[in-house]
Amino acid sequence: MFKYIAIFFTLAIFTLGSLSAVYADEGPDGNSRKGKYTYRKVIKACHERGEVDSASPQVSPADKKRAEWKAIFENKNFSAFGCLPEWDALSDDDIMDIYAYFYATAADSPTPATCN
Amino acid sequence: MGNNLKQMDRGGNVSPGWMAALVFVILLAACPGASSVFAAAEDESLGIKLAKQAVRADKHWTTVDHSKIEILNQDFSSGDQITQACLSCHTDAAMQFEETIHWTWEVPSEKPGIMNGKAGHAVNNFCISGNAMEDKGCLSCHAGWDGTDGLVNCLSCHGGEKFPFKETFADLAAFAGDDDPDLQEIVTQLHADIQKAVKNITLPRRNNCGECHFKGGGGDGVKHGDLDTSLAKPNQNLDVHMAVDGADFTCTRCHTTVKHHIAGRLYTRPAAAERKSLIQDDMATKITCESCHSATPHKAATKMNDHTDKVACQSCHIPEFARVNPTKMWWDWTTAGKMKDGKPYVEKGEFGKPVYKSIKGSFTWAKNVVPQYFWYNGSFDNIGIKDDIDPQQIVEVSHPLGSPDDPNARIHPFKIHRGKQPYDKINKQLVAPLLSGPKGYWTTFDMDEAITLGNQTLDVPYSGEFDYVETTYAFPITHMVAPAGNSLGCIQCHTRDNSRLAGITGIYMPGRDKFAIVDTIGLIAVLGALAGVTLHGLGRFFTRNGREE
Repeated sequence: MFKYIAIFFTLAIFTLGSLSAVYADEGPDGNSRKGKYTYRKVIKACHERGEVDSASPQVSPADKKRAEWKAIFENKNFSAFGCLPEWDALSDDDIMDIYAYFYATAADSPTPATCN
Repeated sequence: MGNNLKQMDRGGNVSPGWMAALVFVILLAACPGASSVFAAAEDESLGIKLAKQAVRADKHWTTVDHSKIEILNQDFSSGDQITQACLSCHTDAAMQFEETIHWTWEVPSEKPGIMNGKAGHAVNNFCISGNAMEDKGCLSCHAGWDGTDGLVNCLSCHGGEKFPFKETFADLAAFAGDDDPDLQEIVTQLHADIQKAVKNITLPRRNNCGECHFKGGGGDGVKHGDLDTSLAKPNQNLDVHMAVDGADFTCTRCHTTVKHHIAGRLYTRPAAAERKSLIQDDMATKITCESCHSATPHKAATKMNDHTDKVACQSCHIPEFARVNPTKMWWDWTTAGKMKDGKPYVEKGEFGKPVYKSIKGSFTWAKNVVPQYFWYNGSFDNIGIKDDIDPQQIVEVSHPLGSPDDPNARIHPFKIHRGKQPYDKINKQLVAPLLSGPKGYWTTFDMDEAITLGNQTLDVPYSGEFDYVETTYAFPITHMVAPAGNSLGCIQCHTRDNSRLAGITGIYMPGRDKFAIVDTIGLIAVLGALAGVTLHGLGRFFTRNGREE
C-alpha cells in the first residue's frame, strides 16, 4: 500500500511540476536591460527627426499592466509610442529586448519602472 | 440744522468731514495692511533696506572648472570611485560631512542615553521611525551611495543634474564581459553620461535639498507644509526670498554652512543660539529673519516694530501655508491593512492625492492652511520611543516650548500634523514598527510582528500587546514668506471673534481680550466725553453759539 501511495505522490508532483513549467508566465525571452537603452535610442532618434518634442521617453512601462504590453508587442502595434519609422527599423531581437524591459517593469510587476 | 453746522465751523470746531479724515489717517498709520497701499510712495523700511544691502546680487565665483579635472576623466564603475576622485582634491570633505546629522541621522538629546534623529529614539506620526537605519525604505534619502554602506555621495548635494547612478552602475556590471557590439556601444555611452554628470558640480541648488526635504514623510508636501516641490521654482506670491522672479535665493543663502554643518537644524534645540544681525557679526548665520532684517524691520512710525519682541515675523508674513501644493494633515494607521481582491490598494481623493493606502492607512490633505500659533523659544519637547505616555490623552509627540515670560519666546506659526499610531498597551510607550523589507509591515501586513522587529532594532522591549493612540506633531512654519501686501492685518489677531491668536494665553491683547476694570474705566471715559461734548454743544446751541441776537 505504501508503495502505491509513494508512486501516486511522485507522479502527482512530477505532473504538477511539468504543468507549471509549461504554463508559467516567464515573460518574453529578451535582454530587458539592453531593451531599456534600445527603447531610449528609438525615442532619441525620433526626437532628432522632429516627430516628438522630448528626447526622453514619455511612455513608461509602469503606464500599463503586463497583459496590455503583451497585446501591444505581440501584435507589433506601436502606434501608442508614435515614432513608427524607428520601430519599423528595429530587428525582431531589438523588439523582444524592449518587450522584455516593458514586461519586467510593468505596473503590475514586482518592480515597476520609475521616472529614472 | 445746516446753518447751525456752518456756524459751528466758523466758530473753530472740527466738522464731521474733517473728523472722518483724521480717523482715516490714524488708522492708516496704525494698520500695516492698509498703509502698504501707499508703501511705494514712501521710503523703504529699515528691514528692507538692510536686507537689500546684505544680499545684493549673488557674487559667487569659483576657481575650479571640474570639466578640466583629469581624475574625473575615468570610466567610473561605482559610486565610491567617484567619491574617491572628489576626495583626491577635497581631502577633508567626507570627514567633515560624516560628523553632521545629514550623515549620522542622530543628535544627542537632553535626556541621558537618548538620541534624537531618524536613526535614534525619536518617532513621528508619519512613517514613525527610521529603526536605527534598518528600515531600508528611508535610506533613499541618506547621502551615501548605498544607504549606510560605502562612502558619502558628494553628488547628492553637489550634483548639477539628477542622474540615475545606482541603476547605471548596476547595468554596467550586468553588461561587463559581453562582446555584443550593441552592448559595447551602450557601455561607452553610459561611461560618457556618467562623466558628464560627475563633472557638472555645483553649490547645492534648491532641487538638491528639495529631493529629500520637499518630499519628507514619503511624498511631495507630506511633512512640513511650508516645504514642497512648489518651492523649486516659486513666484513672488509664494515666497519672496526664493522667487525666481525675485530674490531667487537658493536654500544655502539662509542655511549657511560651516564645515558641512548646515544652519537651521531643529530637533529639540534652537536652530540659532543667538538672534544676531550681520551688522553685529558678519559671520553670524543667516538663519533668522533678524540676521538680515534687524529687530526693528518696519518703518519707524509704525506700531509693528513694537511687536517684534513677542511676535515672530513668520506669524504675520506667512498668512497660510501649502498655498500651491496640498500638505498632509491627518494620518490614521488604524485603518491600514485592508485589501481588495486579496491585494493592497490605493484610493485617491481631492487634489489627486491618496486618501487611503493599504500599507499606510487613511490620510487627509489640505491647501491654504491657516497655521496654529504657540509660544516658541526655538526648542521642542519630543516624546521618543522610551518615554512614557498617557494613552487617554492626545500625545504631543513634538511640541514647541516657550511662554510669555521667556525673553527668547515669540508667538510663532505651526503646522500641527495629527494622526493615530500604534503604542505598547502594557508598557505605555510609542512603538517603532518596521515597515519596509521582506519582514516589514508593507510586505506582511502584520503590525504585531512589525512592532516586534522594529523595536528590536532600537533595543526597546515590546510587551506583545498594542493599540492605537491619537498624536500630534508640530512643524514650525518659516518658508513661503508672502509679499508684504499679503501679510496679516491688525484685525486678524486683535479681534474678539475668531482671532488667530485665540489660543495664546498669558498676555493681554487689546481688541481680543476683555479686562473688566479697564473696560469700565474706558466706557466711563468715553461716555463722559460724549456727555461733555453733548452738553457743551447743547449749551452753545441754546445760547446761540454764545452770541447775542
